[in-house]
Amino acid sequence: MAKKITLSREFLKGLWDENPVLRMLLGLCPALAVTNSGINGLSMGLAVIFTLVMSSAIISLARNIIPKEVRIPTFIIVIATFVTIADKMLAAYFPDISKALGPFVPLIVVNCIILGRQEAFASKNSVGRAVIDALGMSIGFTITLTILGSLRELFGVGTIFAVQIMPDSFEPLMVMVLQPGAFLTLGLMIGIGNWLNARRAK
Amino acid sequence: MVNIFIIFLSAVIVNNYVLVNFLGICPFIGVSKKISPAVSMGMATTFVMTLTSAVSWLINKYILEGLNLQFLQTVSFILVIASLVQLVEMFVKKISKPLYDALGIFLPLITTNCAILGVALFLVLKEYNFIESIIFGFSAGVGFTLAIVIMAGIREELELADVPEYFKGAAITMIVAGCLALAFMGFSGLI
Amino acid sequence: MNYTSLVYAVLSMGGMGLFFSILITLANKKLHVEEDPRIELISDLLPGANCGSCGYAGCANFAENLAGAKSQLSDCPVCGAEAAEKIAQILGVDVETGERKVAIVMCQGGDGVVKKKADYDGIQSCIGATFVSGGERACNYGCIGYGDCVTVCPFDAIHMNDKGIPVVDRVQCTGCGNCVEACPRNVIELHPISHHVFVLCRNEDSGKNSRAVCSAACIGCKICEKAVDGVGFTVENNLAIVDHDKYTKELVLPTEKCPTKCIIIVGEADEA
Repeated sequence: MAKKITLSREFLKGLWDENPVLRMLLGLCPALAVTNSGINGLSMGLAVIFTLVMSSAIISLARNIIPKEVRIPTFIIVIATFVTIADKMLAAYFPDISKALGPFVPLIVVNCIILGRQEAFASKNSVGRAVIDALGMSIGFTITLTILGSLRELFGVGTIFAVQIMPDSFEPLMVMVLQPGAFLTLGLMIGIGNWLNARRAK
Repeated sequence: MVNIFIIFLSAVIVNNYVLVNFLGICPFIGVSKKISPAVSMGMATTFVMTLTSAVSWLINKYILEGLNLQFLQTVSFILVIASLVQLVEMFVKKISKPLYDALGIFLPLITTNCAILGVALFLVLKEYNFIESIIFGFSAGVGFTLAIVIMAGIREELELADVPEYFKGAAITMIVAGCLALAFMGFSGLI
Repeated sequence: MNYTSLVYAVLSMGGMGLFFSILITLANKKLHVEEDPRIELISDLLPGANCGSCGYAGCANFAENLAGAKSQLSDCPVCGAEAAEKIAQILGVDVETGERKVAIVMCQGGDGVVKKKADYDGIQSCIGATFVSGGERACNYGCIGYGDCVTVCPFDAIHMNDKGIPVVDRVQCTGCGNCVEACPRNVIELHPISHHVFVLCRNEDSGKNSRAVCSAACIGCKICEKAVDGVGFTVENNLAIVDHDKYTKELVLPTEKCPTKCIIIVGEADEA
């Protein structure tokens, strides 16, 4: 029997110890593609929070009636439904952001984080725990993406969330908002994350 | 005909599927430790991409557009992809064990992978016709294979290099990918 | 409210779902293939997310490699603790003989025993040293001594002794095989725990040459083979080899007779 973890630990583990992007290396596609600015990173994170929490809730509620053999297709269908809802809501209420995120909102459905959490957690735990776990993971994901996006925006254009931070004399590093910048920044963040984690362990 | 050539060149080099479009990053990091599985993964992915682009286009045209159900794109594409991959896996396993050992084991990994769904979504976005869709699927696969094999070659050499402790593994791979992406940027403006 | 859309949506999705499920069920019946039953058991216990984090192509491939002792369970970051326990149970036992396998390092040529041929100041890794004519030790068949095997052990079961030769803790070792693969000279072998006599040398050069590079080398003198009348020990290519099937505890052990002391006996729980 797995040891009983307190609810707060359940939530906090998604923020650092099991941070989906930096420690578990899941969900890298959106982490790289939509973080060319802070607001985009934040929006993707919010969409993932919605999808993950709702899917975890539903799948946890239905966990005793889904037959084992068809659980993966069932999970995918549930996740796809919520992704479609999120996608259409974004397109309707925030069309600029929807355009910026492009096809990566529908691609949330194959984001390893979501399917992984359903399989490893939501299908085996009560609704309350599943939702707390989902919140922790997705908020961890959102924070990471927002930081990544803001860093790229700051050094690539000089602004954070469209607010000018860097002085006028600053020469923006255009590469940061382009593809190589994404890889480099994420690589550095993962490395720094490893270093911080090792220091914490000491 | 020229259009087809442009689609191919675009997905493989100019807008490389992995390094520019950011699709298929998970297997790109995960399966690029050695060259041999990287090649197999690339070939399996190319095969599945070509097949799914054809079927997705047909489903999109005749069911979704015919009945005005575009909002079901995400759900129906993922359903098609999952089923097709399952069928192909069973088929290959039965027909040829050596081929299955080489390619087949990568097939389940491809299902839950943004690379394939990305192909389906892109060909709807770019409004390709049937032939163009198939060519796009194939080219995306070739582009993916190119990127993953280059990365595998580099990572094999990286095994012997003196990488700083905290950057070993994913971090240095990302940084290398960044350098690769930078190199590929040189191709922009080619077409 | 557009009811036609709703009806069409339900019908088309239901229709496609039904179509594909029937197709897959039929295909499953017609295209079924036999395979190691453990693989399916392990596959069922794994998360099934097919995320690729383990470096393998999906959970089924990972299960196959687990069963073949080519990967370790800790590679999977998504696996829960309960599942991990059950999988470890399935894996713990060797299928053929029903007994545990442990690793053993077939070399005694450490510092002071083997001659040094050079000062090596390169990458402190065995596989790195193989690119530069094999590091410091004069013997081309033996342990290089930079500990690639120690680095790669997930169970902390192998450590360098003070002579620069790795030693396996037979209690901790689970027989996962990582060290066997990591060694570029193939000096480490996996043996069932009941095997207890080993010739700790790999040198196939003639007696004079092997003696010249290492004082604990097997010189192929055949004293052991004669002591047991050829049952259990044979000398091929200037190297004595134990035939574990023929060699039993009842036979006379030639360990005392060996001039270079390269034959050793290991007990159930002590080290080589």
